[in-house]
Amino acid sequence: MQKFEISYYDGETSVSHNAFLSLQHDSWIIEYIHPLFGNRAVKWEIDRVERDMGFTSIFIFRYGDFPKQTLECKDERLLNSLKKFYPDKPFFDKKIDFLLRQSTTLILGLTASLIGLIICSYVYILPWFSEKAAGQIPVSMEIKLGEMMYENTIARYTKNDSLTACVNDFVKIIDFKTDYPIEVTVVAEDEMNAFAMPGGHIVIYNQLLAKMKSKEELAALLAHEVSHIHYRHSLKNIFRTLSGYLAISLMLNDVNGIAVVLADHSNMLVNLNYSRNLEQEADEKAIEIIKANHLNLNGFVDLLALLQTGNTDLQPFKLLSTHPLTKERIAFVKEMAKGQTAMKKNDSLEQKWQTIVAFEKR
Amino acid sequence: MESDQNYSRKITFYGEGNKLFGIYIVNVLLTIFTLGLYYPWAKAAVLRYVYQETEFEGSRFSFHGTGKEMFKGFIKAIGIFIGLYAILIGAILTKINAIAAIGVIFFYIALLLLIPVAIHGSLKYRMSRTSWRGIHFGYRGILKDFMEEFVVGGLLTIATLGIYSFWFTIKLRKYIFSNIRFGNISFSYKGDGTEYFMLNLKGYFLSFLTLGIYSFWFVSDLFAYFIDNMRMNQEGYVIKFRSTASAGGYFGLIVGNLLIVIFTLGLGTPWATVRTLNFVFSNIIIEGTIDVNAIQQTEMDYKDATGEDISDMIDIGLI
Repeated sequence: MQKFEISYYDGETSVSHNAFLSLQHDSWIIEYIHPLFGNRAVKWEIDRVERDMGFTSIFIFRYGDFPKQTLECKDERLLNSLKKFYPDKPFFDKKIDFLLRQSTTLILGLTASLIGLIICSYVYILPWFSEKAAGQIPVSMEIKLGEMMYENTIARYTKNDSLTACVNDFVKIIDFKTDYPIEVTVVAEDEMNAFAMPGGHIVIYNQLLAKMKSKEELAALLAHEVSHIHYRHSLKNIFRTLSGYLAISLMLNDVNGIAVVLADHSNMLVNLNYSRNLEQEADEKAIEIIKANHLNLNGFVDLLALLQTGNTDLQPFKLLSTHPLTKERIAFVKEMAKGQTAMKKNDSLEQKWQTIVAFEKR
Repeated sequence: MESDQNYSRKITFYGEGNKLFGIYIVNVLLTIFTLGLYYPWAKAAVLRYVYQETEFEGSRFSFHGTGKEMFKGFIKAIGIFIGLYAILIGAILTKINAIAAIGVIFFYIALLLLIPVAIHGSLKYRMSRTSWRGIHFGYRGILKDFMEEFVVGGLLTIATLGIYSFWFTIKLRKYIFSNIRFGNISFSYKGDGTEYFMLNLKGYFLSFLTLGIYSFWFVSDLFAYFIDNMRMNQEGYVIKFRSTASAGGYFGLIVGNLLIVIFTLGLGTPWATVRTLNFVFSNIIIEGTIDVNAIQQTEMDYKDATGEDISDMIDIGLI
């Protein structure tokens, strides 16, 4: 019969006994020479033997109640013998042990899948999740966040107070079909751009306002930006873009952190890129608003055309990235404008528009 | 005692980065897929591996804790935290300022009192689950005494704006070490608060003056102060510990580990862990008369891992 060289500890003292282990049908026999009592043999009943899983190349088994007896064996052949002797005993064939002992390939594969998982969650899951999270933010908090971002953003611009007041008067006459308090700020800037912030703030560059030829164009621009606000596109977009930072803030349960992250990045609103679907959604809602206010949809077409000419301006890429699908959008709005009926003259709106134009000229 | 028992000995760590890496990878994946519930098993796997690769006098250490035990502790610890938060939120929801204030104060006091409970429980569990040649370690501290030490020391530390913390640390070390048993071997810690304070004062100043360069000498001094003051006592024979860690050694360890972790984007952490353990164990020399064959089993079994898990949650690094 095969005997294995082992170290045996009786659980009473730390004496290390050089012993031999032999495997029986239903038990293990451990034989050693005790310094005081001479030849000794210990019997371990197989059902009560426990294996210490340590992922090392040493086999450690324990037996009995506390304090347990212990044996250590460094002989690799023990494992094979155990498998042969007790094929249905689980203690030497744990799956995870098998997994770790077996192959480098497996571990490399697992590593690769972990890296894949991290990348995947960063690229897909995190943005998706943060967009959902944006949907859960209460309106009051959204307005507060927007207010804070507005304060941060506007500090870097020169505000045109008189134009701002005129445009806000203009806004009051149109029913935008939203509960958000819409507040426009006109700033002096040499580009054609406009953007919306969560909660109701819209910033318009005066250059864009100056190039507009009709009240319908301004109404269309406002309707479009309001729609982004109404559907929380800007909030969702910000959350998507900053999902990495936001995830860390959320994990640390740090609501202030979220506010700080948003404040620090408010400047990116200028260049934020909406997806095709979001632009489409905002355009549809804008058309609805324009129709409900009985304004001419061709103003929207003109606005898009105007923005398109902006592409050839000094900073083409900026506008290109803000409104990337202008051609398609023009086609869509034109199509909608064809069937438009029930347009009405709106004198008070025209009057407000003329005031804006008058201030423009000063 | 025989004469050949009187020489210096070392603990050797045989762990390998790639083996530990395999364990880490499986742990991380399973922890993610179980939404964190695997964590206790993951921790058990790492501790088992690390203990089993640590050898003294030809025999390995063992960690007997199981994922199941630590999971039970984990659930209890979560229960405690949920309870505390429930009280806090309940008090705030009453919208009565006085009750809300009491709730908040209660919450923070409870959280602070949890620290000694966690350290105590963690030590009891960790020690009882550690063995060498079948002989278990044990922690005989009494929670009430430890709490008293902790509360008094904590209040003094606050009252002295942190200055007392050095004396406090040494007191805690003394209490903890005097209650550790390894079979019939007892431990003690010989440090002194004033000495420790001066050591730190010198370390802070010189690190500041040398723009951080001295900090490597500082950490090696702190390590040495910890190790050199440890004593073991086996039936009247005193066994001392001595640190051989140098500032240069620490420099190599810290800079090397930083590079490993950064350049592998964290995946190299197991190798850094192995380097650290190698460094620590290879720099401790155990001197004195010790009969490694005459240690008697004396300690009781202790399987409650709640303290261990609370420690994890409030992030207390033990020893």
